[in-house]
Amino acid sequence: MRDLLLVFEYQFFQNAVMAAILTSIIAAMVGTYVVSRKIVFIAGGVTHASFGGIGMAYFFGINPFLGAAVFAVLSSTGIEWISGRGKVREDSAIAILWSLGMALGIIFVFMTPGYTPNLLSFLFGNILSVGRSELYLLGAFCLVTIAVFAVFFRPILYTAFDPEFAKVMGIRVAFFRYLMSVVIALAIVFSIRSLGIILVLSIFTLPQITAMLFTRNFAFIMPLASLWGITGSLSGLLASYIMDIPAAASIIFFLTLQFLLIRLIVTLRMLMLRKLSQKPVKG
Amino acid sequence: MKEALVILRDINAGYHSEAVLSDVNLEVYPDDFMGIIGPNGGGKTTLVKVILGLLPPFSGSVSFPRGKPAIGYLPQVSQIDKSFPITVKDLVNSGLKSRNNWFPQLTAGQRKQLHQMLDEAGLSAIASRPIGDLSGGQLQKALLCRALINRPGLLILDEPDTHVDKAFEQELYSWLRELNQEMAILLVSHDIGTISPLVKTIACVNGQLHYHPSNQLSEEVLKVYNCPVDLIAHGPIPHRVLKSHDHA
Repeated sequence: MRDLLLVFEYQFFQNAVMAAILTSIIAAMVGTYVVSRKIVFIAGGVTHASFGGIGMAYFFGINPFLGAAVFAVLSSTGIEWISGRGKVREDSAIAILWSLGMALGIIFVFMTPGYTPNLLSFLFGNILSVGRSELYLLGAFCLVTIAVFAVFFRPILYTAFDPEFAKVMGIRVAFFRYLMSVVIALAIVFSIRSLGIILVLSIFTLPQITAMLFTRNFAFIMPLASLWGITGSLSGLLASYIMDIPAAASIIFFLTLQFLLIRLIVTLRMLMLRKLSQKPVKG
Repeated sequence: MKEALVILRDINAGYHSEAVLSDVNLEVYPDDFMGIIGPNGGGKTTLVKVILGLLPPFSGSVSFPRGKPAIGYLPQVSQIDKSFPITVKDLVNSGLKSRNNWFPQLTAGQRKQLHQMLDEAGLSAIASRPIGDLSGGQLQKALLCRALINRPGLLILDEPDTHVDKAFEQELYSWLRELNQEMAILLVSHDIGTISPLVKTIACVNGQLHYHPSNQLSEEVLKVYNCPVDLIAHGPIPHRVLKSHDHA
Protein backbone atom coordinates (compact mmCIF):
# COMPACT_ATOMS: atom_id res chain seq x y z
CA MET A 1 0.00 0.00 0.00
CA ARG A 2 2.84 2.40 0.86
CA ASP A 3 4.38 1.66 -2.51
CA LEU A 4 1.11 2.57 -4.10
CA LEU A 5 0.93 5.94 -2.36
CA LEU A 6 4.58 6.60 -3.12
CA VAL A 7 3.82 6.88 -6.82
CA PHE A 8 1.82 10.05 -6.17
CA GLU A 9 5.04 11.74 -5.05
CA TYR A 10 6.49 11.50 -8.53
CA GLN A 11 6.04 14.62 -10.62
CA PHE A 12 5.28 12.62 -13.76
CA PHE A 13 2.47 10.76 -12.03
CA GLN A 14 0.98 13.92 -10.55
CA ASN A 15 1.00 15.39 -14.05
CA ALA A 16 -0.65 12.26 -15.43
CA VAL A 17 -3.39 12.46 -12.78
CA MET A 18 -4.04 16.12 -13.64
CA ALA A 19 -4.06 15.32 -17.37
CA ALA A 20 -6.54 12.49 -16.79
CA ILE A 21 -8.86 14.75 -14.79
CA LEU A 22 -8.71 17.65 -17.26
CA THR A 23 -9.13 15.37 -20.29
CA SER A 24 -12.10 13.68 -18.59
CA ILE A 25 -13.84 17.01 -18.00
CA ILE A 26 -13.25 18.25 -21.57
CA ALA A 27 -14.32 14.95 -23.13
CA ALA A 28 -17.35 14.69 -20.83
CA MET A 29 -18.82 17.98 -22.02
CA VAL A 30 -17.93 17.65 -25.69
CA GLY A 31 -18.82 13.94 -25.68
CA THR A 32 -22.30 14.68 -24.30
CA TYR A 33 -22.93 16.84 -27.35
CA VAL A 34 -21.42 14.21 -29.68
CA VAL A 35 -23.38 11.28 -28.21
CA SER A 36 -26.65 13.25 -28.04
CA ARG A 37 -26.39 14.29 -31.67
CA LYS A 38 -25.32 10.74 -32.63
CA ILE A 39 -22.22 11.98 -34.42
CA VAL A 40 -19.68 9.63 -32.82
CA PHE A 41 -18.74 8.52 -36.32
CA ILE A 42 -17.85 12.11 -37.23
CA ALA A 43 -15.65 12.34 -34.14
CA GLY A 44 -13.94 9.12 -35.28
CA GLY A 45 -13.34 10.56 -38.73
CA VAL A 46 -11.89 13.78 -37.32
CA THR A 47 -9.64 11.84 -34.93
CA HIS A 48 -8.10 9.76 -37.69
CA ALA A 49 -7.93 12.62 -40.18
CA SER A 50 -5.72 14.45 -37.68
CA PHE A 51 -3.01 11.81 -38.19
CA GLY A 52 -2.45 13.33 -41.64
CA GLY A 53 -1.55 16.59 -39.90
CA ILE A 54 0.82 14.81 -37.54
CA GLY A 55 2.65 13.15 -40.44
CA MET A 56 2.88 16.40 -42.36
CA ALA A 57 4.17 18.26 -39.30
CA TYR A 58 6.93 15.67 -38.89
CA PHE A 59 7.91 16.10 -42.51
CA PHE A 60 8.09 19.88 -42.31
CA GLY A 61 9.62 19.85 -38.85
CA ILE A 62 6.88 21.69 -36.96
CA ASN A 63 5.00 20.76 -33.77
CA PRO A 64 2.94 17.61 -34.53
CA PHE A 65 0.04 18.79 -32.37
CA LEU A 66 -0.22 21.98 -34.37
CA GLY A 67 -0.49 19.85 -37.52
CA ALA A 68 -3.08 17.61 -35.88
CA ALA A 69 -5.12 20.63 -34.74
CA VAL A 70 -5.16 22.17 -38.23
CA PHE A 71 -6.21 18.89 -39.86
CA ALA A 72 -8.83 18.16 -37.20
CA VAL A 73 -10.43 21.60 -37.42
CA LEU A 74 -10.43 21.56 -41.23
CA SER A 75 -11.97 18.08 -41.45
CA SER A 76 -14.52 18.78 -38.71
CA THR A 77 -15.75 22.03 -40.23
CA GLY A 78 -15.53 20.39 -43.67
CA ILE A 79 -17.91 17.63 -42.61
CA GLU A 80 -20.27 20.24 -41.16
CA TRP A 81 -20.19 22.09 -44.48
CA ILE A 82 -20.85 18.93 -46.50
CA SER A 83 -23.74 17.84 -44.27
CA GLY A 84 -25.25 21.33 -44.50
CA ARG A 85 -25.39 21.07 -48.30
CA GLY A 86 -26.79 17.56 -48.34
CA LYS A 87 -25.43 16.68 -51.77
CA VAL A 88 -22.81 14.11 -50.73
CA ARG A 89 -23.54 11.10 -48.56
CA GLU A 90 -22.20 12.23 -45.23
CA ASP A 91 -21.14 8.81 -43.99
CA SER A 92 -19.15 8.11 -47.14
CA ALA A 93 -17.44 11.50 -46.89
CA ILE A 94 -16.44 10.73 -43.30
CA ALA A 95 -15.07 7.32 -44.25
CA ILE A 96 -12.95 8.89 -47.00
CA LEU A 97 -11.63 11.55 -44.62
CA TRP A 98 -10.94 8.87 -42.01
CA SER A 99 -8.73 6.71 -44.22
CA LEU A 100 -7.25 9.56 -46.27
CA GLY A 101 -5.98 11.18 -43.07
CA MET A 102 -4.32 7.96 -41.97
CA ALA A 103 -2.87 7.41 -45.45
CA LEU A 104 -1.40 10.92 -45.61
CA GLY A 105 0.06 10.48 -42.14
CA ILE A 106 1.74 7.19 -43.07
CA ILE A 107 3.12 8.61 -46.36
CA PHE A 108 4.61 11.70 -44.71
CA VAL A 109 6.06 9.77 -41.79
CA PHE A 110 7.62 7.35 -44.29
CA MET A 111 9.09 10.24 -46.30
CA THR A 112 10.54 11.93 -43.22
CA PRO A 113 14.23 11.08 -43.09
CA GLY A 114 15.61 9.36 -40.02
CA TYR A 115 13.81 8.21 -36.91
CA THR A 116 10.39 9.74 -36.08
CA PRO A 117 10.27 9.99 -32.31
CA ASN A 118 7.01 9.54 -30.41
CA LEU A 119 5.10 8.24 -33.40
CA LEU A 120 3.65 5.40 -31.35
CA SER A 121 2.64 7.80 -28.58
CA PHE A 122 0.38 9.59 -31.05
CA LEU A 123 -1.34 6.35 -31.92
CA PHE A 124 -1.60 4.96 -28.39
CA GLY A 125 -1.16 8.09 -26.26
CA ASN A 126 1.39 8.80 -23.59
CA ILE A 127 -0.23 10.28 -20.52
CA LEU A 128 2.85 9.61 -18.36
CA SER A 129 4.97 12.07 -20.33
CA VAL A 130 2.64 15.07 -20.14
CA GLY A 131 4.69 18.06 -19.06
CA ARG A 132 3.91 21.17 -17.00
CA SER A 133 3.43 23.50 -19.95
CA GLU A 134 1.13 21.01 -21.67
CA LEU A 135 -0.94 20.81 -18.50
CA TYR A 136 -1.38 24.58 -18.48
CA LEU A 137 -2.53 24.42 -22.09
CA LEU A 138 -4.92 21.57 -21.29
CA GLY A 139 -6.25 23.51 -18.29
CA ALA A 140 -6.77 26.63 -20.39
CA PHE A 141 -8.70 24.68 -23.03
CA CYS A 142 -10.77 23.03 -20.30
CA LEU A 143 -11.77 26.51 -19.06
CA VAL A 144 -12.62 27.60 -22.61
CA THR A 145 -14.84 24.53 -23.09
CA ILE A 146 -16.63 25.13 -19.78
CA ALA A 147 -17.13 28.78 -20.74
CA VAL A 148 -18.56 27.90 -24.18
CA PHE A 149 -21.07 25.47 -22.67
CA ALA A 150 -21.96 27.79 -19.79
CA VAL A 151 -22.56 30.87 -21.92
CA PHE A 152 -24.15 29.22 -24.97
CA PHE A 153 -25.82 26.30 -23.21
CA ARG A 154 -29.30 26.84 -24.61
CA PRO A 155 -28.48 27.66 -28.23
CA ILE A 156 -26.07 24.69 -28.31
CA LEU A 157 -28.73 22.36 -26.89
CA TYR A 158 -31.50 23.66 -29.15
CA THR A 159 -29.47 23.58 -32.37
CA ALA A 160 -28.29 20.06 -31.55
CA PHE A 161 -31.83 18.84 -30.87
CA ASP A 162 -33.84 20.47 -33.66
CA PRO A 163 -31.77 22.78 -35.90
CA GLU A 164 -34.71 23.65 -38.14
CA PHE A 165 -36.87 24.84 -35.26
CA ALA A 166 -33.89 26.70 -33.77
CA LYS A 167 -33.53 28.52 -37.09
CA VAL A 168 -37.21 29.50 -37.04
CA MET A 169 -36.61 30.90 -33.54
CA GLY A 170 -33.86 33.13 -34.90
CA ILE A 171 -30.90 31.24 -33.41
CA ARG A 172 -27.83 31.49 -35.62
CA VAL A 173 -27.71 27.77 -36.23
CA ALA A 174 -24.78 27.76 -38.68
CA PHE A 175 -22.62 29.74 -36.24
CA PHE A 176 -23.25 27.36 -33.36
CA ARG A 177 -22.79 24.28 -35.54
CA TYR A 178 -19.39 25.52 -36.73
CA LEU A 179 -18.43 26.68 -33.25
CA MET A 180 -19.14 23.19 -31.92
CA SER A 181 -17.30 21.48 -34.76
CA VAL A 182 -14.19 23.54 -33.89
CA VAL A 183 -14.59 22.73 -30.18
CA ILE A 184 -14.99 19.01 -30.98
CA ALA A 185 -11.87 19.03 -33.19
CA LEU A 186 -9.71 20.75 -30.56
CA ALA A 187 -11.06 18.57 -27.74
CA ILE A 188 -10.06 15.49 -29.74
CA VAL A 189 -6.55 16.80 -30.43
CA PHE A 190 -6.03 17.69 -26.75
CA SER A 191 -7.19 14.22 -25.71
CA ILE A 192 -4.96 12.46 -28.27
CA ARG A 193 -1.95 13.60 -26.23
CA SER A 194 -3.06 11.38 -23.34
CA LEU A 195 -5.00 8.58 -24.97
CA GLY A 196 -3.82 8.33 -28.58
CA ILE A 197 -5.68 8.33 -31.87
CA ILE A 198 -6.78 4.71 -31.68
CA LEU A 199 -8.17 4.88 -28.14
CA VAL A 200 -9.41 8.44 -27.76
CA LEU A 201 -12.98 7.91 -28.99
CA SER A 202 -13.93 5.91 -25.92
CA ILE A 203 -13.53 8.81 -23.47
CA PHE A 204 -16.01 10.75 -25.63
CA THR A 205 -18.61 7.98 -25.37
CA LEU A 206 -18.17 5.60 -22.41
CA PRO A 207 -18.58 8.11 -19.54
CA GLN A 208 -21.58 9.60 -21.35
CA ILE A 209 -23.46 6.34 -21.83
CA THR A 210 -22.61 5.46 -18.23
CA ALA A 211 -24.12 8.79 -17.12
CA MET A 212 -27.16 8.18 -19.32
CA LEU A 213 -27.97 5.12 -17.19
CA PHE A 214 -28.92 7.65 -14.50
CA THR A 215 -30.24 10.70 -16.33
CA ARG A 216 -31.44 11.73 -19.75
CA ASN A 217 -31.19 15.43 -19.08
CA PHE A 218 -28.45 17.02 -21.23
CA ALA A 219 -27.44 19.44 -18.46
CA PHE A 220 -26.99 16.63 -15.90
CA ILE A 221 -25.17 14.23 -18.23
CA MET A 222 -22.16 16.56 -18.52
CA PRO A 223 -21.14 16.70 -14.82
CA LEU A 224 -22.01 13.05 -14.28
CA ALA A 225 -19.95 11.99 -17.31
CA SER A 226 -17.04 14.07 -15.92
CA LEU A 227 -17.27 12.11 -12.70
CA TRP A 228 -17.36 8.71 -14.46
CA GLY A 229 -14.54 9.82 -16.74
CA ILE A 230 -12.38 10.79 -13.78
CA THR A 231 -13.07 7.63 -11.73
CA GLY A 232 -12.52 5.39 -14.75
CA SER A 233 -9.33 7.05 -15.94
CA LEU A 234 -7.77 7.33 -12.47
CA SER A 235 -8.43 3.65 -11.71
CA GLY A 236 -6.99 2.81 -15.12
CA LEU A 237 -3.93 4.94 -14.43
CA LEU A 238 -3.35 3.33 -11.05
CA ALA A 239 -3.83 -0.16 -12.45
CA SER A 240 -1.37 0.59 -15.23
CA TYR A 241 1.24 1.43 -12.59
CA ILE A 242 0.53 -1.61 -10.43
CA MET A 243 0.43 -4.11 -13.28
CA ASP A 244 2.96 -2.31 -15.46
CA ILE A 245 0.71 -2.10 -18.53
CA PRO A 246 0.25 0.83 -21.00
CA ALA A 247 -1.74 3.60 -19.33
CA ALA A 248 -4.10 4.60 -22.14
CA ALA A 249 -5.18 1.03 -22.84
CA SER A 250 -5.67 0.45 -19.13
CA ILE A 251 -7.81 3.59 -18.85
CA ILE A 252 -10.07 2.48 -21.71
CA PHE A 253 -10.36 -0.98 -20.17
CA PHE A 254 -11.44 0.50 -16.83
CA LEU A 255 -13.91 2.92 -18.44
CA THR A 256 -15.54 -0.07 -20.14
CA LEU A 257 -15.43 -2.24 -17.02
CA GLN A 258 -16.98 0.60 -15.02
CA PHE A 259 -19.79 0.96 -17.56
CA LEU A 260 -20.54 -2.77 -17.58
CA LEU A 261 -20.52 -3.01 -13.77
CA ILE A 262 -22.80 -0.01 -13.30
CA ARG A 263 -25.07 -1.25 -16.03
CA LEU A 264 -25.29 -4.60 -14.26
CA ILE A 265 -26.08 -2.95 -10.91
CA VAL A 266 -28.73 -0.70 -12.47
CA THR A 267 -30.37 -3.67 -14.22
CA LEU A 268 -30.32 -5.83 -11.07
CA ARG A 269 -31.81 -2.97 -9.04
CA MET A 270 -34.57 -2.55 -11.57
CA LEU A 271 -35.35 -6.27 -11.53
CA MET A 272 -35.46 -6.25 -7.73
CA LEU A 273 -37.76 -3.23 -7.61
CA ARG A 274 -40.06 -4.89 -10.10
CA LYS A 275 -40.14 -8.06 -8.06
CA LEU A 276 -40.89 -6.11 -4.88
CA SER A 277 -43.73 -4.23 -6.49
CA GLN A 278 -45.20 -7.48 -7.77
CA LYS A 279 -45.33 -9.01 -4.26
CA PRO A 280 -48.85 -8.92 -2.85
CA VAL A 281 -49.10 -6.63 0.15
CA LYS A 282 -50.06 -8.52 3.31
CA GLY A 283 -51.82 -7.35 6.44
CA MET B 1 -60.69 45.60 -45.92
CA LYS B 2 -58.57 43.61 -43.50
CA GLU B 3 -54.85 43.36 -44.05
CA ALA B 4 -53.17 40.04 -44.72
CA LEU B 5 -50.69 38.48 -42.29
CA VAL B 6 -48.66 36.73 -44.95
CA ILE B 7 -48.68 37.16 -48.72
CA LEU B 8 -47.02 34.68 -51.07
CA ARG B 9 -46.57 35.92 -54.64
CA ASP B 10 -45.58 33.71 -57.61
CA ILE B 11 -43.52 31.36 -55.50
CA ASN B 12 -41.35 28.79 -57.25
CA ALA B 13 -39.50 26.63 -54.76
CA GLY B 14 -37.88 23.23 -54.33
CA TYR B 15 -34.63 21.47 -53.58
CA HIS B 16 -31.40 21.33 -55.61
CA SER B 17 -32.93 23.26 -58.50
CA GLU B 18 -35.76 20.73 -58.76
CA ALA B 19 -39.04 22.63 -58.44
CA VAL B 20 -41.66 21.24 -56.09
CA LEU B 21 -43.93 24.29 -56.04
CA SER B 22 -44.65 26.44 -59.05
CA ASP B 23 -46.46 29.79 -59.28
CA VAL B 24 -47.96 29.59 -55.82
CA ASN B 25 -50.00 32.55 -54.59
CA LEU B 26 -51.53 32.65 -51.14
CA GLU B 27 -52.78 35.13 -48.59
CA VAL B 28 -53.19 34.31 -44.94
CA TYR B 29 -55.40 36.52 -42.74
CA PRO B 30 -55.23 36.92 -38.96
CA ASP B 31 -58.37 34.88 -38.24
CA ASP B 32 -57.73 32.16 -40.82
CA PHE B 33 -57.88 28.47 -40.04
CA MET B 34 -56.63 26.95 -43.24
CA GLY B 35 -56.27 23.29 -44.01
CA ILE B 36 -53.39 22.55 -46.36
CA ILE B 37 -54.02 19.24 -48.06
CA GLY B 38 -52.50 17.33 -50.93
CA PRO B 39 -50.78 14.07 -51.81
CA ASN B 40 -47.41 13.06 -50.40
CA GLY B 41 -44.63 14.81 -52.29
CA GLY B 42 -47.09 17.45 -53.46
CA GLY B 43 -45.22 20.22 -51.67
CA LYS B 44 -47.16 20.78 -48.45
CA THR B 45 -44.06 20.77 -46.27
CA THR B 46 -42.12 22.76 -48.88
CA LEU B 47 -44.82 25.45 -48.70
CA VAL B 48 -44.51 25.54 -44.91
CA LYS B 49 -40.73 25.87 -45.13
CA VAL B 50 -41.04 28.78 -47.54
CA ILE B 51 -43.43 30.60 -45.18
CA LEU B 52 -41.13 29.91 -42.22
CA GLY B 53 -38.15 31.29 -44.12
CA LEU B 54 -36.31 27.96 -43.89
CA LEU B 55 -36.26 27.53 -47.66
CA PRO B 56 -35.54 30.54 -49.84
CA PRO B 57 -37.73 30.29 -52.96
CA PHE B 58 -36.16 30.21 -56.45
CA SER B 59 -38.39 33.13 -57.37
CA GLY B 60 -41.37 35.02 -56.00
CA SER B 61 -41.81 36.80 -52.70
CA VAL B 62 -43.02 36.20 -49.17
CA SER B 63 -44.14 39.36 -47.43
CA PHE B 64 -45.65 40.26 -44.08
CA PRO B 65 -47.71 43.47 -44.52
CA ARG B 66 -48.30 43.84 -40.77
CA GLY B 67 -44.66 43.19 -39.93
CA LYS B 68 -43.25 39.76 -39.33
CA PRO B 69 -45.41 38.02 -36.72
CA ALA B 70 -44.13 35.54 -34.17
CA ILE B 71 -44.62 32.17 -35.83
CA GLY B 72 -45.30 29.00 -33.89
CA TYR B 73 -44.17 25.88 -35.70
CA LEU B 74 -44.96 22.24 -35.05
CA PRO B 75 -42.85 20.05 -37.32
CA GLN B 76 -43.75 16.51 -38.30
CA VAL B 77 -43.11 14.30 -35.30
CA SER B 78 -40.94 12.03 -37.44
CA GLN B 79 -38.41 14.87 -37.53
CA ILE B 80 -38.00 14.70 -33.77
CA ASP B 81 -35.28 12.48 -32.29
CA LYS B 82 -37.09 10.95 -29.31
CA SER B 83 -33.88 9.48 -27.91
CA PHE B 84 -32.25 12.91 -27.57
CA PRO B 85 -31.61 13.63 -23.87
CA ILE B 86 -33.80 16.70 -23.48
CA THR B 87 -36.52 17.28 -20.88
CA VAL B 88 -40.06 18.49 -21.56
CA LYS B 89 -39.17 21.73 -19.77
CA ASP B 90 -36.16 22.42 -22.00
CA LEU B 91 -38.07 21.39 -25.11
CA VAL B 92 -40.89 23.86 -24.40
CA ASN B 93 -38.42 26.55 -23.38
CA SER B 94 -36.70 26.30 -26.75
CA GLY B 95 -39.78 28.00 -28.23
CA LEU B 96 -39.20 31.14 -26.17
CA LYS B 97 -37.93 33.91 -28.34
CA SER B 98 -35.74 35.94 -26.11
CA ARG B 99 -32.46 37.61 -26.70
CA ASN B 100 -30.89 36.23 -23.55
CA ASN B 101 -32.24 32.71 -23.77
CA TRP B 102 -28.67 31.44 -23.55
CA PHE B 103 -27.56 30.48 -20.08
CA PRO B 104 -28.64 27.27 -18.33
CA GLN B 105 -30.41 29.36 -15.67
CA LEU B 106 -33.77 30.82 -16.72
CA THR B 107 -34.88 34.31 -15.71
CA ALA B 108 -37.90 34.72 -13.42
CA GLY B 109 -40.00 35.95 -16.33
CA GLN B 110 -39.05 33.00 -18.51
CA ARG B 111 -39.83 30.54 -15.72
CA LYS B 112 -43.25 32.12 -15.21
CA GLN B 113 -44.07 31.88 -18.92
CA LEU B 114 -42.87 28.29 -18.98
CA HIS B 115 -45.01 27.24 -16.01
CA GLN B 116 -48.08 28.98 -17.41
CA MET B 117 -47.68 27.14 -20.70
CA LEU B 118 -47.12 23.75 -19.05
CA ASP B 119 -50.13 24.32 -16.77
CA GLU B 120 -52.35 25.23 -19.70
CA ALA B 121 -51.41 22.00 -21.46
CA GLY B 122 -51.53 19.89 -18.30
CA LEU B 123 -47.90 18.89 -18.63
CA SER B 124 -46.59 20.29 -15.33
CA ALA B 125 -46.38 16.86 -13.72
CA ILE B 126 -44.03 15.55 -16.39
CA ALA B 127 -42.02 18.74 -16.93
CA SER B 128 -38.73 17.22 -15.81
CA ARG B 129 -39.13 13.95 -17.72
CA PRO B 130 -37.01 13.26 -20.80
CA ILE B 131 -39.04 13.27 -24.02
CA GLY B 132 -38.14 9.63 -24.61
CA ASP B 133 -40.54 8.70 -21.76
CA LEU B 134 -43.58 10.39 -23.30
CA SER B 135 -46.51 8.86 -25.15
CA GLY B 136 -47.23 10.00 -28.69
CA GLY B 137 -49.95 12.39 -27.49
CA GLN B 138 -47.81 13.82 -24.68
CA LEU B 139 -44.92 14.47 -27.06
CA GLN B 140 -47.24 16.14 -29.56
CA LYS B 141 -48.61 18.31 -26.74
CA ALA B 142 -45.11 19.26 -25.58
CA LEU B 143 -44.18 20.17 -29.16
CA LEU B 144 -47.33 22.25 -29.43
CA CYS B 145 -46.39 24.03 -26.19
CA ARG B 146 -43.00 24.81 -27.72
CA ALA B 147 -44.82 26.37 -30.69
CA LEU B 148 -47.25 28.32 -28.48
CA ILE B 149 -45.13 29.60 -25.60
CA ASN B 150 -44.16 32.66 -27.63
CA ARG B 151 -47.86 33.56 -28.14
CA PRO B 152 -47.51 33.53 -31.94
CA GLY B 153 -49.73 35.41 -34.40
CA LEU B 154 -49.45 32.52 -36.83
CA LEU B 155 -49.40 28.85 -35.91
CA ILE B 156 -48.22 26.31 -38.47
CA LEU B 157 -48.87 22.62 -37.77
CA ASP B 158 -47.39 19.90 -39.97
CA GLU B 159 -49.40 16.68 -39.61
CA PRO B 160 -50.19 17.09 -35.89
CA ASP B 161 -52.50 14.08 -35.83
CA THR B 162 -50.01 11.32 -36.66
CA HIS B 163 -49.05 8.78 -33.98
CA VAL B 164 -51.72 9.97 -31.55
CA ASP B 165 -54.88 8.28 -30.29
CA LYS B 166 -58.43 9.41 -31.03
CA ALA B 167 -58.96 10.88 -27.56
CA PHE B 168 -55.95 13.11 -27.93
CA GLU B 169 -57.03 14.08 -31.44
CA GLN B 170 -60.34 15.42 -30.08
CA GLU B 171 -58.55 17.29 -27.30
CA LEU B 172 -56.13 18.76 -29.85
CA TYR B 173 -58.94 19.93 -32.13
CA SER B 174 -60.89 21.67 -29.41
CA TRP B 175 -57.69 23.34 -28.22
CA LEU B 176 -56.98 24.53 -31.78
CA ARG B 177 -60.49 25.99 -32.11
CA GLU B 178 -59.85 27.99 -28.97
CA LEU B 179 -56.42 29.12 -30.17
CA ASN B 180 -57.91 30.28 -33.47
CA GLN B 181 -59.60 33.12 -31.51
CA GLU B 182 -56.12 34.60 -31.01
CA MET B 183 -54.08 33.47 -33.99
CA ALA B 184 -54.15 32.35 -37.61
CA ILE B 185 -53.64 28.61 -38.01
CA LEU B 186 -52.30 26.67 -40.98
CA LEU B 187 -52.90 22.95 -40.55
CA VAL B 188 -51.10 20.59 -42.92
CA SER B 189 -52.66 17.18 -43.31
CA HIS B 190 -52.94 14.39 -45.82
CA ASP B 191 -56.15 13.44 -44.08
CA ILE B 192 -58.82 15.79 -45.35
CA GLY B 193 -61.62 13.73 -43.75
CA THR B 194 -60.59 14.48 -40.19
CA ILE B 195 -59.64 18.12 -40.61
CA SER B 196 -62.52 19.17 -42.83
CA PRO B 197 -65.01 19.97 -40.06
CA LEU B 198 -62.31 21.89 -38.20
CA VAL B 199 -60.91 24.28 -40.78
CA LYS B 200 -62.55 27.31 -42.38
CA THR B 201 -60.78 27.23 -45.72
CA ILE B 202 -58.71 24.74 -47.68
CA ALA B 203 -55.62 24.99 -49.86
CA CYS B 204 -54.88 22.05 -52.15
CA VAL B 205 -51.18 21.70 -52.84
CA ASN B 206 -49.99 19.47 -55.63
CA GLY B 207 -47.13 21.29 -57.31
CA GLN B 208 -49.52 24.19 -57.67
CA LEU B 209 -51.82 25.63 -55.05
CA HIS B 210 -55.57 25.93 -55.34
CA TYR B 211 -57.31 27.96 -52.70
CA HIS B 212 -60.81 26.94 -51.74
CA PRO B 213 -62.65 29.48 -49.57
CA SER B 214 -64.75 26.90 -47.71
CA ASN B 215 -64.25 23.64 -45.86
CA GLN B 216 -66.62 21.73 -48.12
CA LEU B 217 -64.89 19.67 -50.76
CA SER B 218 -66.20 17.04 -53.12
CA GLU B 219 -64.30 14.51 -55.16
CA GLU B 220 -65.17 16.43 -58.32
CA VAL B 221 -63.62 19.60 -57.00
CA LEU B 222 -60.49 17.77 -55.95
CA LYS B 223 -60.26 16.36 -59.45
CA VAL B 224 -60.56 19.80 -60.97
CA TYR B 225 -57.83 20.99 -58.58
CA ASN B 226 -55.67 18.04 -59.61
CA CYS B 227 -55.41 17.20 -55.94
CA PRO B 228 -55.68 13.43 -55.66
CA VAL B 229 -56.54 13.08 -51.98
CA ASP B 230 -58.24 9.86 -51.08
CA LEU B 231 -61.65 10.77 -49.69
CA ILE B 232 -62.91 7.20 -49.50
CA ALA B 233 -60.29 6.29 -46.93
CA HIS B 234 -62.04 8.21 -44.20
CA GLY B 235 -64.67 6.02 -42.69
CA PRO B 236 -67.65 4.31 -44.24
CA ILE B 237 -69.54 7.51 -45.04
CA PRO B 238 -66.92 9.99 -46.18
CA HIS B 239 -69.45 12.46 -47.57
CA ARG B 240 -70.94 12.97 -44.15
CA VAL B 241 -68.54 15.86 -43.69
CA LEU B 242 -67.84 16.46 -47.36
CA LYS B 243 -71.10 17.78 -48.68
CA SER B 244 -71.17 19.23 -52.15
CA HIS B 245 -71.15 22.99 -52.07
CA ASP B 246 -71.92 26.05 -54.10
CA HIS B 247 -68.38 27.09 -54.96
CA ALA B 248 -67.77 24.50 -57.63
